Amino acid sequence: MLEKSRIFAVRRKICLKNKLRGAFVLLIGFCLLTPGVMADEQTLPSLGYRLNALSKPIDAPDFNLQDMDENNYSLKDFRGKVLLVNFWATWCPPCRREMPSMERLYQKLKDSDFTVIAINQFEDPDHVFAYIGQLGTDPTFPILFDRESKISEAYKVAGLPTTYLVDKKGKIRYRAVGGREFDHPEVEKIIHALIAED
Amino acid sequence: MLRYFIFILLLFTQHSLLAGEVQQTRNPDSGLLSWKIDDQGFSLELIQLLPDFVRAVYGSHKFPPEAVEEIANYCVFGTIAINSSDKSLSYRVADWHALMADGKKHSLKTKTQWVDEWRKLGIRYSWTILPAEQTFEVGDWSQGFTTVKLPREKPFDLIYSWNLEGKNYVGKIKNIRCAPENLPEK
Repeated sequence: MLEKSRIFAVRRKICLKNKLRGAFVLLIGFCLLTPGVMADEQTLPSLGYRLNALSKPIDAPDFNLQDMDENNYSLKDFRGKVLLVNFWATWCPPCRREMPSMERLYQKLKDSDFTVIAINQFEDPDHVFAYIGQLGTDPTFPILFDRESKISEAYKVAGLPTTYLVDKKGKIRYRAVGGREFDHPEVEKIIHALIAED
Repeated sequence: MLRYFIFILLLFTQHSLLAGEVQQTRNPDSGLLSWKIDDQGFSLELIQLLPDFVRAVYGSHKFPPEAVEEIANYCVFGTIAINSSDKSLSYRVADWHALMADGKKHSLKTKTQWVDEWRKLGIRYSWTILPAEQTFEVGDWSQGFTTVKLPREKPFDLIYSWNLEGKNYVGKIKNIRCAPENLPEK
């Protein structure tokens, strides 16, 4: 049986020709059917790029979560790498806006000691699978499922999106509350500096 | 091509905002209103949300019908709070209130209060409402619902406050109205 992530890649190739037309129809439908959401989308502030350093780095809480294909991941799997941990949900407009920049960052730096995980809050994989099909950019980094928000509680996430940058020793070093453009050169500079640490 | 279309769409929906001045905007598609102010390092925006939209949000998260109706009967605003300063900033929704024309104050119902109620009903979901209190570092911002129990037709002033590096500020957005029960006639 094909993995869901591979099924998605195939489906995306088939749909490529109709992408512009489909997106336009979706956008118009979205405007007509969900006025409240459209108001949100229109007035969203621009995404910044600033990550805030924690005055005292703290241990990143451990987790044991599954991705869409039921593969297990825990924090120790990423030890020795700089890790961008993003908490998100499909209903959250800034989460949707920042995800393509996370994918671009991941593509650029994945061959160095860096990776990205996006931890979805309280949604089921089928719902998220359908949503990912609507994104302009396919996330190729692991999307994990925190079905009861226990991990976000452990990370003291108050609102979505919230993102942490964890160093190679498993310490949280930076935090961003609200959407960001993660492939901004200033963000890359911080990540390179963390990668260069012993 | 789609990129250019979205760019042009965004270009027409961006508004300049003078410090401390409330800007009221009517969404041309829906007729719904929003209010935005950026003052002393804190930007706050409230967007009317229809009760049916609120029902759809919580219905989709499998809330029991009585819990869906409870929040749909509140005045609910999509809310964007931004630290627009270059300092650390904090806010507490419990310190904010709606002030009616007759001088009566109505506290906003916070995320903490909603989540406490939902827990008693066995609901574990805790997202969507604007965090009850937050400390924003530079560049941080949040989006979520704010809620207050008021008659839909009565306008009110929102009195809100924040703390910027140890100094307290109070702001006011005048003449806010809840979203109507249904989409306004064009």
